[in-house]
Amino acid sequence: MSSKNGIARRDEDEVCPVCKSSRYLNPNMQFLINPECYHKMCESCVDRIFSSGPSNCPVAGCRKTLRKNRFRKQTFEDIGVEREVDIRRRVMQVLNRREEEFDSKRAYDDFLEQREEIIANLVGRIDVAKTEAQLQQYATDNMQSIRTNQALEAQEASSFQARMTQEQEEARLRRQAAREEYENERREMQAGREDFLSRLAAGTAADATSIAREGHKVLLKKSSARRSEEDRIRQKQAALRGTETTKRTGGPLTTADIAGAAPSADTGLVKGLRKIKTPEPEKPYDPFMGLVPEKRDYYSLQSFYPSSYLEPIRKDTRMLAGGYDLREYYSRTLFEAFAGLGCFVGEEVAQRDATSAAGISKPAATEGAAMAAVGNAAVNENTA
Amino acid sequence: MAVSPFASRSPSVAVSSPNTAIRLRAAAAQNSANEPAPSAKPLQADQELTEQLNEDVRQKYIKGGFPPFFLGEGTYAIVYLGHLRDDPSSFVAIKKIKVNAEYKDGLTMDAIREVKYLQELSHPNVIALHDVFSSKDQNLNLVLEFLPRGDLEMLIKDGDIHYGAADVKAWMGMLARGVWFCHENFVLHRDIKPNNLLIAADGEVKLADFGLARSFADPYLNMTHQVITRWYRPPELLYGARQYSGAVDVWSMGMVFAELLLRVPFVAGNTDLDQISKICEAFGTPTEENWPGVTKLPNYIPSDRNHLVPLQGREFFQRQFPTAGPVGADLLMSMCTLDPRKRNTALQVLRHHWWTAEPRPTNPEDLPRKSGGTQKMGDDLSRRGGEMDDGPFKNAARQLDFGK
Repeated sequence: MSSKNGIARRDEDEVCPVCKSSRYLNPNMQFLINPECYHKMCESCVDRIFSSGPSNCPVAGCRKTLRKNRFRKQTFEDIGVEREVDIRRRVMQVLNRREEEFDSKRAYDDFLEQREEIIANLVGRIDVAKTEAQLQQYATDNMQSIRTNQALEAQEASSFQARMTQEQEEARLRRQAAREEYENERREMQAGREDFLSRLAAGTAADATSIAREGHKVLLKKSSARRSEEDRIRQKQAALRGTETTKRTGGPLTTADIAGAAPSADTGLVKGLRKIKTPEPEKPYDPFMGLVPEKRDYYSLQSFYPSSYLEPIRKDTRMLAGGYDLREYYSRTLFEAFAGLGCFVGEEVAQRDATSAAGISKPAATEGAAMAAVGNAAVNENTA
Repeated sequence: MAVSPFASRSPSVAVSSPNTAIRLRAAAAQNSANEPAPSAKPLQADQELTEQLNEDVRQKYIKGGFPPFFLGEGTYAIVYLGHLRDDPSSFVAIKKIKVNAEYKDGLTMDAIREVKYLQELSHPNVIALHDVFSSKDQNLNLVLEFLPRGDLEMLIKDGDIHYGAADVKAWMGMLARGVWFCHENFVLHRDIKPNNLLIAADGEVKLADFGLARSFADPYLNMTHQVITRWYRPPELLYGARQYSGAVDVWSMGMVFAELLLRVPFVAGNTDLDQISKICEAFGTPTEENWPGVTKLPNYIPSDRNHLVPLQGREFFQRQFPTAGPVGADLLMSMCTLDPRKRNTALQVLRHHWWTAEPRPTNPEDLPRKSGGTQKMGDDLSRRGGEMDDGPFKNAARQLDFGK
């Protein structure tokens, strides 16, 4: 705003380089620039030339194609500064890594230096094509992390804004409270004094000193009571504020929170990025918790075994109605027949000696889990 | 891979298996001239080897710890809190079996069963038996895993504790794994109920109280039908079946599942007959059509022809247990099928797609918890199998009839 006015006021005889109309003739003349070439021209020229679509820059020798929507007001008087600020803003938007994303302070500083170099190159028109290509490449590679960091910045900015307004509001309230307090105190003091005077007038001369002392005491007591009351309120408010702020700032978003923010850590332009550990995705629930059901090393179980011994059971509806399951019997019998195979006592003893020598012992449960797929030795006696 | 019985099962000390103990013994004998033996009481040379081994195990543990070291007392046992002599932070529960008047000449059946089956089973969802020793007065002491967070019954009954479908799924998953593991090792638990499902410090549910357990029976061998606490007893046992399978535990599991969902026992009969009629009402009347052979069962009672309840379908379970969701209701139905042959096995239960369906089971450490669990553990472990804690049938506890 002020810069616009400044420009307008300073150059009374400013002339549009395109249409040559001067401010003297057109006091409302406003100059616009396009970040493509930064050639200045007046608003009416922009309207005239670019309203019907993109066109070449009317300034002699500049063949840049300009679009109307990119025209804007100049912020800085110096067109060089304007251009540098634009470039800087654009580069910063792409290279928006944050300090916490780097392994070390050194890496972050290197990154900052690199960013400055790129800006300087673009501003000074050194290796523009190469730098632009680099920047473009980086932007496409790190689209996601750029976007998250932008969101973070926006969030920080807005929360800062909110805090500022809150603080201002609080200060206003404090001032108001102080004013009221002073007002109250003054009024009470006045009232006390009047009361004191009226009592003095009513009482006898002998009472004068005692009345005076009493009145003074009452005033003191009142003010101290008020002060403690105010303290209490103030403390309460402070506590309230504290909880409010913690509530609001609770769960600050960090880049680490966003899983998969930067899959490519050290590739490309920026070096020394911290490896982002994406939290291991939760494994699907395994109802067996790692044990393998029906794991049999030496045999496979069939659903039927011919046996004259078992034949009567197959026909005994009474036994079957109780739920007696011959498959359980098959499975147990076969298990017992093969139990102990693959069990090498020598090896186990050696292993056990090694662990007991090292003083390592493990809880029975984990040991059990390891061997549980097949189970321990069979229980083959019958009771009851 | 089959595993030899050499594997050490002690909670944290390497000196546990008999062989190690023997080796240590030999070493101690060599050094006895200049070094005191590890145990508090000096060992005598004429002590028998078995006595020495027992003494070694006994000296490994100390009853006590922080108060209360006395966890509970029941008709059957006293439970103490103890810890390893070498490591005061490793808590164990020491269950001292009471000398029973009925079995003056030996051990009670419950104790024998418990030792016999627990020492064979080692699984995260089965209570661990670390050691067994006998104390001075010939009392049997079982050194069990210390499970400080009470049992499922406590959580079901506490109205202040809220849990959801994911929590139920987590508990049922642990229960089903424990039962499946027992069955995979050919052990029938035969007393599954919420107060036998203890909760470890890390939230794991552990199958406890193997006082009624037995191995799968050989063909033609009779088993008793007087097992499993009544509310959790399957219809085939109520009808007096003498040959049965792991399906009895699956029924109990289904009842626990229903109780977890409803927070009250689903079919709670006052007598065995009442239990049968309640089951018929809830799930349908068993007939020759839906359960071939049921009429041949020893204690089968023909039900009133006029009051035949048809077998309940899927809709009934979905309506009755809306919190389980349609998939959970389907699983519950498969666990509560009247005909034990059509009932899912523990393996089939674990293969059901409910476990992988939404919601994912809660992690054990995030499950709801309640304080005061140590006392409850003491009570649970000192109870006789098949006994009820409270209620109108407190004194109607069933005695196993081993005469048959």
